[in-house]
Amino acid sequence: MARIKTSLLFAAAALAAAPIASHAAESPLKDGTIGYIITDLHWAGYKTPDAKAECPGGKVNPWGPREQFKALYPDDGKRTVEGTHLAFEIGSWFPDADTPDRFPFYEAQGKYSAGLNLDGKVGPNDFTSPDGEPGIDNQLFRSIGCVENYRPPEGTTTFYANKAIMEERYNRMLIELTGVENLSNDSDVTVTMYRGLDELVADATGDRYVSGTTMRIDAKWGNKFVQKFKGKIVDGTLITEPVAFGQIPWSSFSLPTTQKFHDMRFQLRLRPESAVGYIGGYVDVENWYWQTMKSESTHHQSNGQTTLNSLYKVLRKNADAYPDPVTGRNTAISGSLEAKFVQTFIVHPPTDNKVASAATTTPASSQARHER
Amino acid sequence: MNAATPAKYAGKISGEPTVKCLRPTPYAALAGLLIAGCSAPAPHTGTAAKGTADAGQSSPASRRLITEEQYLNTIAHMFGPDIEVIAQFAPMQRTDGLLGVGATQAGVPAGQMVKFQRAARQVAAQVVSSGNVALHIPSRQDALIPCKPADATAADDACARMFLAGTARLLYRRPVAQERVDQFVAEAAKAATLSHNFYTGLGMVLEGMLLSPDVLFITDRTEPDPARPGQLRLDAYSYASRLSLLLWNSFPDDRVLKAAESGELATAKGRKRVVEMMLASPRLEEGMRAFFDDMLAFDSFASLSKDPAAYPGETGITLTAAREQTLRTIYYLLVTKNLDYRDLFTSRTMLMSPILGTVYGVPTAPGWQPYTFPADSPRVGLLTQISFLAVNAHPARSSATRRGKALRELLLCQHVPLPPPNVDFSALEDPNSAAKTARDRLDVHRKNPVCAGCHRITDPIGLALENFDGAGQYRAAEKGVAIDASGSLDGQAFRDPAGLGQALHDHPSLPSCLVRRAYGYAIGSPLKESDTEILAQFTQQFAASGYRFRDLLQTIALSPAFYQVTPAARATTKEANAKTQSPAE
Repeated sequence: MARIKTSLLFAAAALAAAPIASHAAESPLKDGTIGYIITDLHWAGYKTPDAKAECPGGKVNPWGPREQFKALYPDDGKRTVEGTHLAFEIGSWFPDADTPDRFPFYEAQGKYSAGLNLDGKVGPNDFTSPDGEPGIDNQLFRSIGCVENYRPPEGTTTFYANKAIMEERYNRMLIELTGVENLSNDSDVTVTMYRGLDELVADATGDRYVSGTTMRIDAKWGNKFVQKFKGKIVDGTLITEPVAFGQIPWSSFSLPTTQKFHDMRFQLRLRPESAVGYIGGYVDVENWYWQTMKSESTHHQSNGQTTLNSLYKVLRKNADAYPDPVTGRNTAISGSLEAKFVQTFIVHPPTDNKVASAATTTPASSQARHER
Repeated sequence: MNAATPAKYAGKISGEPTVKCLRPTPYAALAGLLIAGCSAPAPHTGTAAKGTADAGQSSPASRRLITEEQYLNTIAHMFGPDIEVIAQFAPMQRTDGLLGVGATQAGVPAGQMVKFQRAARQVAAQVVSSGNVALHIPSRQDALIPCKPADATAADDACARMFLAGTARLLYRRPVAQERVDQFVAEAAKAATLSHNFYTGLGMVLEGMLLSPDVLFITDRTEPDPARPGQLRLDAYSYASRLSLLLWNSFPDDRVLKAAESGELATAKGRKRVVEMMLASPRLEEGMRAFFDDMLAFDSFASLSKDPAAYPGETGITLTAAREQTLRTIYYLLVTKNLDYRDLFTSRTMLMSPILGTVYGVPTAPGWQPYTFPADSPRVGLLTQISFLAVNAHPARSSATRRGKALRELLLCQHVPLPPPNVDFSALEDPNSAAKTARDRLDVHRKNPVCAGCHRITDPIGLALENFDGAGQYRAAEKGVAIDASGSLDGQAFRDPAGLGQALHDHPSLPSCLVRRAYGYAIGSPLKESDTEILAQFTQQFAASGYRFRDLLQTIALSPAFYQVTPAARATTKEANAKTQSPAE
């Protein structure tokens, strides 16, 4: 694991996410336990106002679904629904990674990207974090970094992902740190992830969330999200060891899905009221693609020039881990989610054994991942 | 429905000789007269009202304007809690420390009459509604009208009489004369014929009833008191109304009216049974909430807001919950747990909701649940609840002066003099001041002889609550300087908010102030010098009961002073109308 710096990015993010210190006198760290609830979540990357630093010639992808459709099916007076609209949709539902794309696709090519150094190495395809940390593994950013839909804050994916966190319940991710003696430095802590049941509470400004809410664990339908991570706190930053496989609840346009990671881990700057940082690992490409397909209609994809059958080819090309044992092609792509949490009190159900026993504790094995 | 039409029914239905402003004129003119400001029926003083009652053992007959809460409670009790009414009646003038007393001084200006009419229309429309699936309006007529007309498109006098007679009895809080019921039925028939709808006819008459001065004003009617020749007492129905307003903040229900009709309320034994029944009713909670909401001046919450920049964690929802918390906590501790009233200020138990947990910084359970703070917590008693702290503070900062003043005036019934008109706030509001804490800043006032007189009364108490900011959130320091929360209350020194709570608990004026407020609230009139003796008796009995609030209510409700009356003497209210204002901060 790469050494973690107390980065400017973290500091800025922590300030931006600073929740309400509603009870300064009493620490929410009680009996070695503190909980947090997710409030913001989007794919980590790097964005400059003119895109010149990260996209070829400062250009973002112009070939969205509408533009591709117009080029593929010119109005010759003989068009049919089957031959045009349905044919185009079929291309998304049966994506093909092998056939070359007829349209150019701009990949992110700059030096910088936010994210995590997943393999502890500095490779030729790695990025450097905005505050100078080398070795950032983020080929997902390389794939989507010049697609307007995924460029925060204007990209609609970020907006809708956070809107879903605010309005929907399925994606209520909780993390609970136990065995914490000190929020600044602790060599051995445990992080358990749960799915919560209760609503976030916005503050009086309407665009931030208060800390100190109480959240109940979904012990009935949320067991598959109960996962344990071992970790440590170094200079206020939580660093967990990766687990072999992890998943987080995700929701978009009221459709419950999941994001699946190999070698999933957390790296979060901790404060009594908040936790800000990354959830990273090797993202399962098929799952990523299909959850996007199911969640977003062509209409939504068109808002940010996301043509999924083009994007699929790029994701497959840039996938950098977990090769398929039969084909040898990588099935996962490095990536991280930027995450912001606020402190919450997590209430366990009366019979918590069932929840605890559902926890995943399998550590990641370096032998399981064979990067190409 | 013609907006003016129900006013006609109001006039005809009320039909009392005391309602001078109603004339048999066209509907619109009638409405105009009514809206222009109709005088309420004066307290009915009875034919034998000649002498004056024995001092201190009687209360003045009065007439009160119905409050918004009383209106809503009454509608909910009669027709169900799902009747939606957007009332927004005009606030009363706080008199002798209570809005409830101010209700005896209130009239009905034109704007208020419009609100009454709007509320009446909403109620009537829902009561007779046949439902509308598209508009999500449930059908209520089958549940609320006790009969079905032979033909729903025509008048049905028998069915109309069944509904209107029973409804009028509850709304007017006494039996209604046969000829008056005949009027209701005739008007309902006329409207049903014109509209070809039986229920429309009922709705129009109900709307008119709800606009009647006899409904909107609760007027004491008196009769000669056989036990005290030459003196007066409330008649049984007015006694029933007074009881219901005190204990339920609502009109009497069928059981109480039956006790009045049967003569049971004319006997000491009967009164005791009815009062005990009412104290055991779940409606007692509504009565207690109304009293303490009034006593604590929580009407200020209606205009309370906090600066989002200063207190982003305190939203309108939080403030609403804070008010609710205190009212629920009072009921929980004083009724459910039957604790000593003074323990309100030393108990570490509060009712807690999830939204308030974010401000108190404690885990919560769904809904409202009792929560007991640990022994080392600064949260002790009502003074450290967000409601008291936030409502007696500025939008963006705390106020030791307002909190001290509120404690003295609301809880100890003391009077804090008005501030001078030309207060110099510059030193207090100087952002570059070297003074870091409120104690340092307020020192300016305490050293100024013009200000010191009042600030020495308020500030030493209020500064004890400086550990809580203007939103009621705990803080150990202000601008990096540790807060000194020590002080004294009328000679009893303390070191922190818990000590202030204990000093208040032990203050002799705490229970006597509650007695004063409760009695004033009960009789709906300002108190006089001559009430000193009866207040002392109540206070003594209150102490003997271990300061149990239910016992105090029972004592007052069964006391001779509660039902023995003198004719209303409005001149006596002047002394109680002194406006209370805060000293400067």
